[in-house]
Amino acid sequence: MTDSSRLWLQRAILLVAILAAWEACARLVSDRWISSPVAIAERLAQWMAGDLWYHMMITGTEIGAGLAIGIPLGVLTGMLLGRSKRMAAVFRPFIVLMNSLPIVALTPLLIMWFGLGMQPKIVLVAFVSFLLMFFNSFSGARAVDEELMDTLALMGASAKERFVKVVVPSCLTWTIAGLKNALPYALIAAVIGEMMLSRNGLGHLITRSAQQFDMTGIYTALFVLMVVGGLINEGTTQLENRLLRWRHLETRGR
Amino acid sequence: MSHLQLIRPEPATGATPARRRKISLDKVAVDFTTRGKTFRAVDDVTIEVPEMQFLALVGPSGCGKSTVLNMVAGLLAPSEGSVTYDGAPVEAANTRVGYMTQKDTLLPWRSVADNIGIAFELRCRKANAAERRERVAEMIDLVGLKGFERHFPAELSGGMRKRAALARMLIYEPETLLLDEPFAALDAQLRILMQQELLRLVERRQMTVILVTHDLEEAVLMADRVMVFTSGPGRIRTERDIPFERPRNAMELRFRPEFSAIHEELWSELKDEFAASVERERRAQ
Amino acid sequence: MWKGSVVRNRQKALNPRVVLVQQLAFLILLIGAWQFVSGRLIPPFYISNPLDIAGVIWKWLADGSIWVHVRSTIVTLFMGYLVGAALGIGLGLALGLSPRTERIVAPFIAALYGLPKVALLPLFVIFFGIGLVSKVALVASVVIFLLFYATLAGVRDIDRDMIDGLRLMGASGEEITRKVRMPAILPWLYTGLRTSLGYALTTTVVSEALSSNRGLGFLIEYSASQFHSAGVFAAVVVLLVLSSAIMVPLGMLERRSKPTRLSH
Repeated sequence: MTDSSRLWLQRAILLVAILAAWEACARLVSDRWISSPVAIAERLAQWMAGDLWYHMMITGTEIGAGLAIGIPLGVLTGMLLGRSKRMAAVFRPFIVLMNSLPIVALTPLLIMWFGLGMQPKIVLVAFVSFLLMFFNSFSGARAVDEELMDTLALMGASAKERFVKVVVPSCLTWTIAGLKNALPYALIAAVIGEMMLSRNGLGHLITRSAQQFDMTGIYTALFVLMVVGGLINEGTTQLENRLLRWRHLETRGR
Repeated sequence: MSHLQLIRPEPATGATPARRRKISLDKVAVDFTTRGKTFRAVDDVTIEVPEMQFLALVGPSGCGKSTVLNMVAGLLAPSEGSVTYDGAPVEAANTRVGYMTQKDTLLPWRSVADNIGIAFELRCRKANAAERRERVAEMIDLVGLKGFERHFPAELSGGMRKRAALARMLIYEPETLLLDEPFAALDAQLRILMQQELLRLVERRQMTVILVTHDLEEAVLMADRVMVFTSGPGRIRTERDIPFERPRNAMELRFRPEFSAIHEELWSELKDEFAASVERERRAQ
Repeated sequence: MWKGSVVRNRQKALNPRVVLVQQLAFLILLIGAWQFVSGRLIPPFYISNPLDIAGVIWKWLADGSIWVHVRSTIVTLFMGYLVGAALGIGLGLALGLSPRTERIVAPFIAALYGLPKVALLPLFVIFFGIGLVSKVALVASVVIFLLFYATLAGVRDIDRDMIDGLRLMGASGEEITRKVRMPAILPWLYTGLRTSLGYALTTTVVSEALSSNRGLGFLIEYSASQFHSAGVFAAVVVLLVLSSAIMVPLGMLERRSKPTRLSH
């Protein structure tokens, strides 16, 4: 047996053992607090046949629309502001302040402005992702290797050409690092918004179950969120590996 | 515009053209401020480089040789004195020179081929894709990087990166080359080959060159004139014309007795400077 | 030595006084515009105005009612942070030193890490009731993972060859820990502790807003539910003061001086 297949076998055994112990506890002691794997699986099947996809669509739309607004705005503003020495110096203290503020604390305000629907969550996701991307590409633009800029300048590159060929790609490293934060954070922000006040979305699934003391419902919703969160993390890691192949070679070579 | 138009015509044989003054530094001094302390890196340096001359600057490290190149490239302004190129003061990045800095400044996110071809992506030297591919292949061949076209800089050795940087600079055939220790990271055999290749190209294209090196042998082999720098602050200690013919065969030159004589003569000047710089570093600790 | 760069010494350095004046001008302009726009272009219901907000903060300070919230936020933050950090570092060391177990459980931890932790709050509230414990549990659940991954990375950073070398020279286990293991782990721990403080604060405020009857997060949520926008902004300003007092000395912006990642 190869090393990796043995590893996966061990993992499978561990998973089965955990689930079996859980199920046993639920049957022999009480399933009042911990529900049970079988009940959760049944509920999941029931939801999948019912309104799970609808709630997922809602959360997905909020995340997608928010990111579509927040990411490009954040990256662009960060790069432009970061390349101007004066702007960077003038806005620095404000940026530091904003960076220290927990932005999701503004959720109640956004709900007050935009009401119950998807808008406040979209704005929240956009705001959070804008700031995360902004901080990263701002730092990236400040950290551009000036010797690369010199080299291109001597070849006769115009300011615009230097921006496109040096600043943008070297910011990309930081942008990707920002995405690794922004994408999971977008899910968190959307869920927070939905938990605070909402009639739909994955966050709502949790609060709805909690209000009815429906433990099986809570665990099922948590499982769904875990899968969605895991997929988002995995996706960003894959994306990073593809886009930043040269950088991985660099760190491996060291 | 095709790259062919960028290449200046081959020299007319026979009559020696009047050599114009290409680069001149007039009583130049440079001060740097680090941690509130100002020190003088280069002092009272006057250099005149006629067109098509190959000038080598030698001296211990930290003697301000690279600073001189930075000024000619327009990356640094002198604190005193003036720097002119083709008779006009150098006031911004000098796009007439090709500059190979000590650190290879390859773009880490581009493959070797894309790094070498980057000059042809710029508006001022635009070339079509086919032309570009052909020239890049030529240059890759010249610097012996065949088979590594698709590699990223991080996958190459220090010497290979240097060669890629050299190719990137040579591909658009700038009229003047500023070379800062271009062969330092190469092994001995490759170094000799590259020196010969560079000489061939410089002679054929009638380039003006300033080469900074700490390797006196390299300086004497390649240059028409060698300047020895003192260190701390950098001044010109001595200069000497190197009377060997052009085109020149560097491989064979190093076995000639005249070569040894000149080498020995300059070395006697240089070794004091090396000793002084070691002494100064010891005291600084 | 000087690293050559584009005509750096020909560009004029920024005058710090001019920058300061520009910063103040921007701030005054921002506040002035806010005051002007409110009631003229945008109803104060939405954006309140700086004078009203200042009035609310003044009232809170005068009657001292703000302190119960500030204290609650600080207590929740640090208790959750300390519990989470202790557990995370402990788990990181334990699994870091037994790599075979770590390889088996890694995907399980990664899966839990992917879960947005705030979603656990209703569960904690059912278990522990509305109050300090459920909030601390939530903050700790966020911090654990960050410090677990930081510690694990630190343990992996330990140079085995160096340990072998020191063993050959006759170093004791304690000496090796002091000279090799600790120096490898500490920078990672430091980064982890610094980064997770920001996440801990966010989680604290969110848990207060979602289920609590005190804390700055609660104050924001409560004011919003009363449609008292001046109260919302006032609470945000107090939070901003608190968060910057905690984060800025730690150089939270500097943590981005390298595009490093904590996890994996």
